[in-house]
Amino acid sequence: MAEIKMLDASDRGLSGGYMMWYRFSRNPSAVIGTLILLSVVILAVFAPFLTPFPKHVGAVVDFRARHLPPDWTHWFGTDKVGRDIFSRTVFGLRISLLLVIGVLGISVPVGAILGLIAGYFGGWSEKLISGLTNVMLAMPPLVMALAVSNLLEPNLMNAMIAITLLWWTWHARLIYAVSKSIASEDYIEAARLAGAGPIHILFREILPNCIPVLSVKTTLDAAFVILFGATLSFLGFGVKPPIPDLGSMVADGRQFMPDYWWEVLCPGAAVLYTTLGFNLLGDGLRDMFDVES
Amino acid sequence: MQQHPFVAILTRLGTFVLVMIALSIMIFILARIVPGDPARMALGPAATQDQVDALRGQMGLDQPLVLQYLDYAGKALRGDLGMSLVSQRPVTTDLSQTVPATLELVLVSVVFMFAVAIPLGVLIAHYRDRAVDHLGRLLSLTGVTIPSFLFAITLQLLAARYLSGWPIIGRLDHDLNWTGGPTGFLLLDGLLTGRPDVSLNALQHLILPAFALSMAGIGQITRITRSAMIENQRKDHVLTLKSFGVPERVIIFRYLLKLSSIAPLTIMGLEFASLIGNAFVIEMIFAWGGFASYGLNAILQKDLNAVTAVVLVAGLFFIVANLIVDVLITMIDPRLRRKEAR
Repeated sequence: MAEIKMLDASDRGLSGGYMMWYRFSRNPSAVIGTLILLSVVILAVFAPFLTPFPKHVGAVVDFRARHLPPDWTHWFGTDKVGRDIFSRTVFGLRISLLLVIGVLGISVPVGAILGLIAGYFGGWSEKLISGLTNVMLAMPPLVMALAVSNLLEPNLMNAMIAITLLWWTWHARLIYAVSKSIASEDYIEAARLAGAGPIHILFREILPNCIPVLSVKTTLDAAFVILFGATLSFLGFGVKPPIPDLGSMVADGRQFMPDYWWEVLCPGAAVLYTTLGFNLLGDGLRDMFDVES
Repeated sequence: MQQHPFVAILTRLGTFVLVMIALSIMIFILARIVPGDPARMALGPAATQDQVDALRGQMGLDQPLVLQYLDYAGKALRGDLGMSLVSQRPVTTDLSQTVPATLELVLVSVVFMFAVAIPLGVLIAHYRDRAVDHLGRLLSLTGVTIPSFLFAITLQLLAARYLSGWPIIGRLDHDLNWTGGPTGFLLLDGLLTGRPDVSLNALQHLILPAFALSMAGIGQITRITRSAMIENQRKDHVLTLKSFGVPERVIIFRYLLKLSSIAPLTIMGLEFASLIGNAFVIEMIFAWGGFASYGLNAILQKDLNAVTAVVLVAGLFFIVANLIVDVLITMIDPRLRRKEAR
């Protein structure tokens, strides 16, 4: 759905919606990425109806079925207490997608607005943004997120807060650069002379021009957020058991390597599948909009 | 108007110092406003309130935050980062024992990155839009998207299955009677002390974790190198060389490669922070026992002095890496170098 909204926003120019659709359909990486993401979203949303053992999300124990290798009943095998790994993996996708929505839903608007303001008005806000992003750059994000979430309390909510605190600076920096270059264009000056206020100029004149860059960046970032969240929960900073999330499933399965490899590789492959989808779509959008990364 | 490269690098150095100061303030405040009293944590629940208050006074925790920070910064500049609550030793001692292990791992994986990614990027740029290109692009995309823990565990799994006897955890076999060398870098120490068997063994241990750590960078650098090579092929001077009949091989290796290595180097510098972050995962999986393992442990144990130090050292790694990148780019890019002659 996200990409359709984006196309609407950018097709008000000469190219038209049909042109965008044409470019999209001729771009294999955008199409494959969209199909992958569509399958992920459908699986996650309708998980209770699409998985063979939705009850296995909870604290189900069936020791007779523990550590079963993948077969037709259990596509991804079963774990140490006999739960179906395929069902748990599909439900785990929900946590990954929630993380993306939560982190980017806050950091993208906040970063974009601050970046717009800094780019258009300049002055101290400009200095503040570039100073902050310089510090954030030097900080291994994983270390920072670990430190923040652990000093509070190690769980996914705090990890999410930690990631969000870090992430908005990247969007601020990007939008700052774009809006700064747009702010000196003639049509902005024309709008100002015609009596347009700063709110109109920021959101009606400059922001629409940032949409291509912002959509590419946001799509690629979604992949990073998923990787990041999975890594955090792999290290033990995830949701509380028995709720399945992909990183902690991999960490659980690692105790039984190398004999029960499916307990690690299957949830891990689900992370890879999702991040691959976002990256393919992001690369495709970049080609379609012809923006530099 | 561009600055003299030397001045430019000095300016960067100044920015880096400011970044370090900002970073230290940030982590210092973060570590001080946490719920929980460091003095109480150090003494345990059995201590009386008087004992805790006494230690608070001793640790300077009753002072205003600004004074506490200045005190910390002053001591840090003299090489005193406080005591670790967990190991009960100075944090600097812990660091000096763990940093070389991580540095060795990181350096070898940076070597891997460039040794694999630059030739691969050049190759697939040369065969643009052919089968080799599609395959190489898919591989590099997988490198960027694969979770590092998944790749690392898969490597371990494959090694355990198909390379019996190949070491999959630790830095060295236990039966080597190794008592430690002067630098802490095992590859180097083995050679310095006349124990090539140690160096060889350490190298064997290094290959899997270094490869796992370098995967994300290999993917990223391959992609950047490819697009830089393709873009630079259209530059005027390259077209001129072509029209003079200079062989393609010479153009690629003598002119294009140099020009196209600037972008990957810059990205490498920026990506260094996430490389250190990934080291936390890789060291855990391979039981590496380096600085990142120490940091993870410190975070889990809420060992505040150690956490602060780990964040600062990670920042320092990033800054030094970027300074090196700046110097290298100045050396490579003739447009920056020639300013010196003026």
